[in-house]
Amino acid sequence: MDAKIDLHDTAAQALALMRDAGFDDAQVTAVHSKLDELNVAHNEPSLLRSTESYKLMLLGIAGGRMASTEMTQLDREAVRERAASLFADAKAAPQDEANAVSSGQHARIVQGPQESDRELLAAKARELLEFRERETPKMMVDEGSVCHQWRRSHTVTSGGSDLAASIGCYAMSVFGTAREGGKSSSFNYTGGSADELASRAAPEYFGIARMLRDTQRQIETRPFGAKFVGEVVLTPNAVADLLGWLLGQLSDTQLIAGSSLYRESVGQAIASPLLTVKSRFDAPGVVAVSADAFAAPAVTLVDGGRLLALTPTLYGSRKTGIRHVPTAGGWDVAAGSTPLPELVGAMKRGAIVGRLSMGMPAANGDFSGVIKNSFAIEGGEVGHALSETMIAGNMAQMLKDIAGVSRERIDGGALRLPWIRIANLHFS
Amino acid sequence: MTYLETRRHELRKRRLLMVDGNLTLNSQTLDSGASARAREGGYWGFAATNDASAAGIERATGEARRNAHAMSRFGRKDPLALAGGSYRGEHVYRGRPAIGQDECVQRMAEISAWCKRRYPDLKSTRVLLGDEHHSKWLSTSTGSEVLSSIQRALCYVNFTAIGRDGAPVELMHVISGKGSLADLDLSPDALAEELDELHRHVRAKCAAVPARGGEHTLVLGPELAGMLAHEAMGHPCEADLVLGGAVTGDLVGRRVASELVTMIDVAHTFRGEETMIPVYADDEGTPASDATLIRDGVLTEFMNSRETAAKLGIRPTGSARAYSPCDEPLVRMRNTVIVPGASKLEEMIAGVEDGYYLMKTGNGQADSTTEFMFGISLAYEIRGGKLGRAIRDTTVSGSAIKVLQSADAVSDDLYWNCSGYCGKKQPMVVSMGGPALRVRAHLGGE
Repeated sequence: MDAKIDLHDTAAQALALMRDAGFDDAQVTAVHSKLDELNVAHNEPSLLRSTESYKLMLLGIAGGRMASTEMTQLDREAVRERAASLFADAKAAPQDEANAVSSGQHARIVQGPQESDRELLAAKARELLEFRERETPKMMVDEGSVCHQWRRSHTVTSGGSDLAASIGCYAMSVFGTAREGGKSSSFNYTGGSADELASRAAPEYFGIARMLRDTQRQIETRPFGAKFVGEVVLTPNAVADLLGWLLGQLSDTQLIAGSSLYRESVGQAIASPLLTVKSRFDAPGVVAVSADAFAAPAVTLVDGGRLLALTPTLYGSRKTGIRHVPTAGGWDVAAGSTPLPELVGAMKRGAIVGRLSMGMPAANGDFSGVIKNSFAIEGGEVGHALSETMIAGNMAQMLKDIAGVSRERIDGGALRLPWIRIANLHFS
Repeated sequence: MTYLETRRHELRKRRLLMVDGNLTLNSQTLDSGASARAREGGYWGFAATNDASAAGIERATGEARRNAHAMSRFGRKDPLALAGGSYRGEHVYRGRPAIGQDECVQRMAEISAWCKRRYPDLKSTRVLLGDEHHSKWLSTSTGSEVLSSIQRALCYVNFTAIGRDGAPVELMHVISGKGSLADLDLSPDALAEELDELHRHVRAKCAAVPARGGEHTLVLGPELAGMLAHEAMGHPCEADLVLGGAVTGDLVGRRVASELVTMIDVAHTFRGEETMIPVYADDEGTPASDATLIRDGVLTEFMNSRETAAKLGIRPTGSARAYSPCDEPLVRMRNTVIVPGASKLEEMIAGVEDGYYLMKTGNGQADSTTEFMFGISLAYEIRGGKLGRAIRDTTVSGSAIKVLQSADAVSDDLYWNCSGYCGKKQPMVVSMGGPALRVRAHLGGE
């Protein structure tokens, strides 16, 4: 890769300028990123994109007062001016002794493919489109992409932290609907990141083939037409929503506001013994460094249903007194021992939920939502595709009501997730 | 025939978040750069860079052309002539002089302190302030030369109380408008009435009961009508989704709503006033005009880009916009509104024997089938024409066509909001507005 700008020098110079501006502590990250992306629109290759950008992220603390900024001009004069105005921004902030930057952190990470292979991108786009035409001809791929992303970064802090990373990965995504005559399925999508795309055909990554085949079976739908309490099998796509809610409960905003349901629950069972959630900070496209400049070692959040850690940032930790746990972006829900057909076969009445279209869960975890890309289950048999069907429940209770976890998982890169069977949902 | 557009683009954003007096976010960002998009042989090439100098734009243009040319590996494609005309003009909002971070922090601190004094029963108060300023200098091979500048500002106030069951209960109030934060009056005196209302509602939610799941008669308050317009029929009337198979593709000229319903995606001016997100020419240099999606209940037309207008053979509406310097223009809504009717909100509620009054929403989602949903964060029962107990957070959903066909009253109110982002590959600033509607729709619950 071209390296016209030395990121370490840029970051170090900016750090010095932050000190010159009057900051007591500072964190600076210089980033160089490139993207090569081949887009598909309406079942045809449509656009080839190449972008390149530089960015400087500055965070400064003066007298316990903090401000941050991002800028794309990296020349010394622009940085000097911005550091000075950032100092004025910080002086306007209330003093908060919880503000701090990392110290003594060191990392050098090189991960994933560092160079884009455009021939590979084109080959994967062809494979996707050929599969669609051959196997799922009623599918319309509204938007699809195959890309190579590369991001090089260097972070330095006034506390002596020095973290550098160069992360490359490939990614694919598919979004579309199936149509026949005047009828359409709901839209559906999937995608993910990987260090390589060459070892399998494109539809075999990220559950793409399964998504296309399922969606084609969802043109003809009908409602359940009954209110009842039943079970669901959440597909990995829907499990991501449940995981996202849990992660939000463990992080700064909820912890500082005192509204986290799990503030006092470390060491306690918060979920079924079938649930284990671990970090995956070395996943494709993920850099094992937290946003507040800490190397992020592996962490287990939930082990056999027991909550092992909350995940405040350094600021959140100093604010709440909770142990600081640095995190990056990758998570792994452990596979279970039940084959997926058995997981579904054990259900009396309910649905396989492809996607949850729902409002933000309430602060207590209550939610309701429309289940999309879903199939009815009666007596363990997969039935018709569903429309106009809602489920309601409580996210925290759902974690406790997990009744099965599949042996199979979909590896989307940053998230590796199984299918999960959950009881006691209200269907209407 | 080759089409080319180049765009210099600056996106300035500011975000501050105060949680119980603690400033947890204090950030200003500037994303600037240039992009070029070329069309050759029916394929697009796109390139973007931070370097917005003439030389940088020239390099991006060359890269975009090479990218378009490289797509010929996929074989010949019909080089459809693009639709749309050209536009020359500059449109910059002139609001009050911007205020600094210090004034923003001061206003947040005042609101936080005022709330703490006035509402001692609250567990937590969060205040988020933000504004963003999009400036785009566009030049196209069709002769368009446009400077478009759009600014919007927002303030979220979020109250957390403890419900009767000991669990937290939240409710948020949103204030938004055109311009920067200087253009919003955020003094506690100005906000007192709205915050008192918010507090009254969050207290009511502390004793909320679950909604009864199923289909009900619902009065959707004016804050919800814009979301209904945007999610329910706005997205399915975007020409790229129509080309992708949205069911609306076969419904032009057919009744899709009650004759009380008229819905417009307004380009820049509604009833003589400039809208919150005014678009005079889109990011392809097409002159922007209103798209009347539904007129008196009949589906009329679709929002489009140069390419989708040409593919569908329809009138260009100038609806293609790009969010950041690295983004290409996509078909996006601008200011989507359900036109007010003649009914009075109070009478619409009084006319419901058993139903719900839905007042606030947080997010929503559309579908190619027109089956929509949006989250409901504030609602009350209606019993015998009167408001009853608050209900817990829920979700409303239904087929937009069935729901809009069931509309039997449209109020004379009009509420606009530009606080949210529309999500569709890229985020986008949009506004939405409308009156109250009375409909039949599905509510999530027990």
